[in-house]
Amino acid sequence: MSHDEVADLLALEAVGVLEPSEREAMERHLATCEPCRVAAAQYVDVAGMLPTALELVPPPARLRRNLMAQVYAETNASPALPWYRRLVNAIPTGRAFTLVGAAAVVVAIVLGIWGAGRGAQQGPVAYMVSGTTATGTLDVNSSGTQGVLTVTGLAPLPATEAYEVWLIPPHGSPKGVTFLSPGVDGGPWTAVMSGNMSLYKSIAATVEPAGGSPVPSNTEVLSGQLSES
Amino acid sequence: MHLSDDDIVRSISAHSPEGIEALYDRYGGLAHTVALRILSDRGAAEDVVQESFLAVWRRGSTFQAGRGSLRSWICTIVRNRAIDRLRGDRHRTRLDTPIEGESIEPATSDPWAAVALELSGEEVRKALAELPIEQRQTIELAYYGGYSQSEIATVMEVPLGTVKGRVRIALDKLRASLADRMETPWQTQ
Repeated sequence: MSHDEVADLLALEAVGVLEPSEREAMERHLATCEPCRVAAAQYVDVAGMLPTALELVPPPARLRRNLMAQVYAETNASPALPWYRRLVNAIPTGRAFTLVGAAAVVVAIVLGIWGAGRGAQQGPVAYMVSGTTATGTLDVNSSGTQGVLTVTGLAPLPATEAYEVWLIPPHGSPKGVTFLSPGVDGGPWTAVMSGNMSLYKSIAATVEPAGGSPVPSNTEVLSGQLSES
Repeated sequence: MHLSDDDIVRSISAHSPEGIEALYDRYGGLAHTVALRILSDRGAAEDVVQESFLAVWRRGSTFQAGRGSLRSWICTIVRNRAIDRLRGDRHRTRLDTPIEGESIEPATSDPWAAVALELSGEEVRKALAELPIEQRQTIELAYYGGYSQSEIATVMEVPLGTVKGRVRIALDKLRASLADRMETPWQTQ
């Protein structure tokens, strides 16, 4: 097969229409032809530029949030993790907060207080949060990678709205990380978050449309500083 | 801090969540645009984008620098998944018109990538506009339509060999027009 014939196949492959019967011949040639391997990359590059011509349609904020929630959940699903972290990770992150989740939150908080009481140097840390009517705590685990926000005094919201939780870095924009879920039987609202908490200086919650907003609106219901002072 | 594509690949290879986050911030918008263009269904497009990035996360980076750019790599993954979904939908309708309707909230994005994409987009639109209509339609049917070579030949009422030729010629013209933008320097054989 000549280079020219292979180039036809490389172009077809780059736009995704190479037939299986053609692929074998192409790959056989590529295995021994460096110039054609370079050409293959070039055709892929050219085809890969086609989407940039489209009018960019930004994805909804929830897509990023859902993706990263899944990624962090899988990161923390390692069996090598301590049992109490696996327990915290098992708390549902969806809006329908369950009794199991509520129980796990209570256990996590108790463990946090217990750990702090033992004076462990790198133990869990509890930060106070408050608003006009709301008060609560953000319990962060020993490694600073998991947080459980527990809040009382928040009013119920219609289905079209949600309490969105934001982590605010020293510089840059607030990052929407999760939503507060209502507790069972009027219990505390809770939210679980993953990430490097040391990157942020404060936390806040705002009322946003269900599904979240790209930036917080001017509807803050609580806030708190993420420092141990 | 601005991460290079190489930094992102290293981070993903190390199975770092920050790596997949940076990849999404840089190319998630483009990936979503590709999926939506192919599927014409917002829910399905979101599913495909999430599945694609999760697949990258779970497998680790299979990206090989010698086989095209990181952008091409992720676009190919998303495109292939979207086409698979399109082909799997027995009740699908082919929509070749742009998506219109309600606005979608902007997501967090990488401002460097946004500028680069915009600059690249203008040049690619111009290069595409310079192609004869039949060549442009051929590569669009192939890349976004999920049509096979023989299906394209049927739709365009031309012999199969003409389809192959049009794809090759169109891509050769595009690479000539976009040589400055390509990450793999073009070499004539």
